[in-house]
Amino acid sequence: MDKITNKYERRGAALLPVLHALQDKEGLISPEAEKDVAEYLGIPVVHVHEVVSFYHLFHQEKLGKCHLSVCQTTACALRGSEDIIRYIEQKLNIKPGEITPDGKFSFDVVECLGACEMAPVMRCNKDYKGPLDKKKIDELIKGA
Amino acid sequence: MEKIVSRHFGQENSHRLEHYLKDGGYVSARKALTQMTPAAVIEEIKRSNLRGLGGAGFPTGTKWGFIPQGNPKPKYLVINADEGEPGTFKDKYIMEQDPHALLEGIIITCFAINSHKAYVYVRGEYIKSMKILQEAIDEAHSKGYLGKGIFGTNFDIEVVVHPGAGAYICGEETALLSSLEGGKGFPRLKPPFPAVVGLFESPTVINNVETIACVGPIINRGAAWFAQLGSEKNGGNRLFCVSGHVNKPGVYELPNGITLREIIYEHAGGILQARKLKAVIPGGISAPVLTADQLDVKMDFDSLKAIGSMAGSGGIIVMDETTDMVWAALVAARFFALESCGQCSPCREGSGWVYRQIKRIYEGQGRLHDLNNLPGIVNNIGGNTICAFGDAVTMSVGSYVSKFRSEFEAKIKG
Amino acid sequence: MPNVSIDGKQIEVPAGTTIIQAAEKLGIEIPRYCYHPALPVAGNCRICMVEIEKQPKLQIACYTPVSEGMVVKTNSPKVIEVRKSVLEFLLVNHPVDCPVCDQAGECKLQDYYMEHGQYDSRLDNVKVKKEKKAFPIGPTIMLDQERCILCTRCVRFTDNISKTHEFGVFDRGDHSQVDVYPGKQLDNNYSGNVADICPVGALTDRDFRFKCRVWYLSQTKSVCPGCSMGCNTTVEWDKMRPHQFKKARVMRLKPRLNEEVNSFWMCDKGRYNYHFIDENRIHHPQLKDGLVSWEKAIDMVAENLKALQAAKHTGAIGVLASAQLTNEDLFVIRKFFKENLPGASVDFKLAEVPGESDDFLMKADKNPNTAGASLILESNTGAAAILQKAKQGDLDVLYVFGHDLVKLYGKETVGLIAQKVKLFIYQGSNINETCSYAHLNLPSSVYAEKEGTFTNCQQRVQRIWPALAPLGESKGDWEIISQLSNKLDAPLAYKSSQEIFKDLAATIPAFAGMSYEKLSDKGMLLK
Repeated sequence: MDKITNKYERRGAALLPVLHALQDKEGLISPEAEKDVAEYLGIPVVHVHEVVSFYHLFHQEKLGKCHLSVCQTTACALRGSEDIIRYIEQKLNIKPGEITPDGKFSFDVVECLGACEMAPVMRCNKDYKGPLDKKKIDELIKGA
Repeated sequence: MEKIVSRHFGQENSHRLEHYLKDGGYVSARKALTQMTPAAVIEEIKRSNLRGLGGAGFPTGTKWGFIPQGNPKPKYLVINADEGEPGTFKDKYIMEQDPHALLEGIIITCFAINSHKAYVYVRGEYIKSMKILQEAIDEAHSKGYLGKGIFGTNFDIEVVVHPGAGAYICGEETALLSSLEGGKGFPRLKPPFPAVVGLFESPTVINNVETIACVGPIINRGAAWFAQLGSEKNGGNRLFCVSGHVNKPGVYELPNGITLREIIYEHAGGILQARKLKAVIPGGISAPVLTADQLDVKMDFDSLKAIGSMAGSGGIIVMDETTDMVWAALVAARFFALESCGQCSPCREGSGWVYRQIKRIYEGQGRLHDLNNLPGIVNNIGGNTICAFGDAVTMSVGSYVSKFRSEFEAKIKG
Repeated sequence: MPNVSIDGKQIEVPAGTTIIQAAEKLGIEIPRYCYHPALPVAGNCRICMVEIEKQPKLQIACYTPVSEGMVVKTNSPKVIEVRKSVLEFLLVNHPVDCPVCDQAGECKLQDYYMEHGQYDSRLDNVKVKKEKKAFPIGPTIMLDQERCILCTRCVRFTDNISKTHEFGVFDRGDHSQVDVYPGKQLDNNYSGNVADICPVGALTDRDFRFKCRVWYLSQTKSVCPGCSMGCNTTVEWDKMRPHQFKKARVMRLKPRLNEEVNSFWMCDKGRYNYHFIDENRIHHPQLKDGLVSWEKAIDMVAENLKALQAAKHTGAIGVLASAQLTNEDLFVIRKFFKENLPGASVDFKLAEVPGESDDFLMKADKNPNTAGASLILESNTGAAAILQKAKQGDLDVLYVFGHDLVKLYGKETVGLIAQKVKLFIYQGSNINETCSYAHLNLPSSVYAEKEGTFTNCQQRVQRIWPALAPLGESKGDWEIISQLSNKLDAPLAYKSSQEIFKDLAATIPAFAGMSYEKLSDKGMLLK
């Protein structure tokens, strides 16, 4: 952690990379983690929680082993993201924001991922996948 | 047309230092640091007519000139790699396929503004970009192009890659600073401007990835060369991102003076299934939508402003005749409602309200007075907010309502 | 010093003054939610936008500094339109539950809407649901996230003033919610202030909840008697409907702005300690075996004092005055006991344990007038000597002003004193254990029923005004002594506390030149 904070002129500026590192390690950001980070960086814990609640990449609940973030903004919407979203709902039997009972998949709709040339696009955990079609979704679900 | 910023795209191992060096890499940086003065560098960039390619189109050299050199505080360079504007994906290509071009530009820029620390704020989803960029930084360090006393001079420089965490508003320069300092992406009241009070209350230049990637070539081949490549006040080429209902979505480096029609039909392969074009967003979702009869506009900042839209981030999203424009407005309104930071009243409440109004109309639950009230509500947001996000809501969503009113009316009568 | 014109009126102000501040100096109140003079500027509500000549866009008045020759319009058609639109936006998700909201009548949403709002509502959409409605976030404050307009005054208060960092704004967009950290409570010594600064009914006072509609309240200026800080307050009371609230008159206390003393704030201990004004009061003069009339009571005391005076045995008089008394009360005590009955032992310093203090407003000395008592009574030997005399049986008369001796010294000591002293008088406002030991209880009024002055720890003399008439048969402390003096040789002829103060200022050098007029409602420092 100190390797991260040492790069910044002010300790508090390391908050986002520290939270990312924590989340990568533990899978989510727990209240205990918030308090630890607050103490480590010298920030009031309420402001750490503000940051965790503000940014969409930080989450306080466990996600599925494979978390699908499907883009719903204009370019992807024009290339069929709504169909993809409905298809995923159908195949996995969950709505955006939910997790499958076996914990394998969770999915959410997000805004532009910066990969419009591959529309419709989603992230599967950290990897970009696109252009998507029903066949690719089937493969992904089978493969997990 | 000679490619400048995208000259290495698609080449094998283009991101490696040895590849970059084979093609005259870091020659410009060495030239600037050993043969020029910071003031001369700024002057060169001014004369090149390079303008901010993140969206605002502000003259880059002028921005650098705002840094008060007499100010005792350290100066910072912040690279805006948040790339959140829907329709835009060019900076990703630069970071993943030509990171050293960015680094070389950073070195020259830092030298020009007397900064010894550069932060590259990359949107949190661009894991691959950050990894490749960090590797490039490590390579450059090992060769002495970054670190202490680079190129045999006594100029020190460090570059830090900093991740965002999923908030479009962090592309706004002062929200980016708030985020970089460890807070929520809340834009700040201006003045003071970042050039005077920026990162850690110190003078800061914030520039887009592509803008800085142009700096090396400009220093290498001269401002005049770059300036004459573009249109009158808009020098150089630009990376246009084309997406939507086109056959060949992708990044295209083209001159600034090219028309929208040429980009769509001669480079991006025209419309899918040879359909007719109905509408096109010329510069990211914040740009007012254009109709099919406006395709002959030149794609530079001034020409697009003149027809009531904006060149913005260069993100072109094409919509064909099958597109329901009320639905398109809904998608745009939903984007703004979800990405509003929530700090100021008009945008926070207005963006959500506008989205719900349009949703109601789209789902057939709207009445005529809902549609008649909509322009007034939309217009109350822009101009009254802390940052330009509010203006974007007004301009963007407003353009669908005004240019495709008949489609809205159809949903009400039908 | 730039010269600026606001709504046609000219004013010269120091450089750096914002438009909103300059306007205030001209008596023009520009509407504001997020702006508060004691908090850092946020600039997020946007309702203070004004038109500046030669500038195309409207600017927020709370943040924009004036410049030489600036011409500002705070009521032009453009400005009114923007204000209407901001108000409309703030109501989009607001529950408008005024009938059940305590803020009604002092709500800035209501006030500005009545002045500037758009009467034909176009708000007929579903409102965003927030999590917490009528949710206690601590012992003193109730949170209603639906009513919140996200001005962030509360966040800036707990970050910058109380520095306890309880509040934050979570999530984003129109799902933003003000809250305290999950699992934490709003539990600091200044929590009550957030209900003051919240412009709407999002943060309301639990003590005041549903008690009284604010338009029934009358306001009287006063000073908190809780400690030597002397925070300026307003006593808010309702005399219209005594059949409600179990005959309580005072509904709440609010801090009153005094830049030199407490700014806009007061501590919770002071704020919520007003119930004693109406509860648990001594209503009538009382002997051990029952009520007695004032006349009989005064006669009884006078008799004893006169006898001692005649016998030149005034040394058998012990007076335990109090730093809870006003300067006027103390001055009359001084004149009556020290000057007319020389030999009487008079002191006010009892063995009190210093209370809680902090580096903000709370002082360890829990008396409002220690400085005044020291100057007026002069003797500082402490009450120990007097109590010793009492225990030894050397006192005929022990006159105690308001001290709960049982609490300080224990039942045994007080029991002994009651035995040994011939006439043990307790003059106070509220019932405590000492009353049952005293031979004679004289009901005095509380500070909220008095006109007078206190001298705080800054050596500042501050006025208090009477909000209420003395409860029951109670009388002001100096009025009681005055009545007593009528029965002795040298009657004190003061007809008002103002007269007393005039005499006091002429007598005691530190108060020289002071008058009620000069003190006004901000106070003056002693010489």
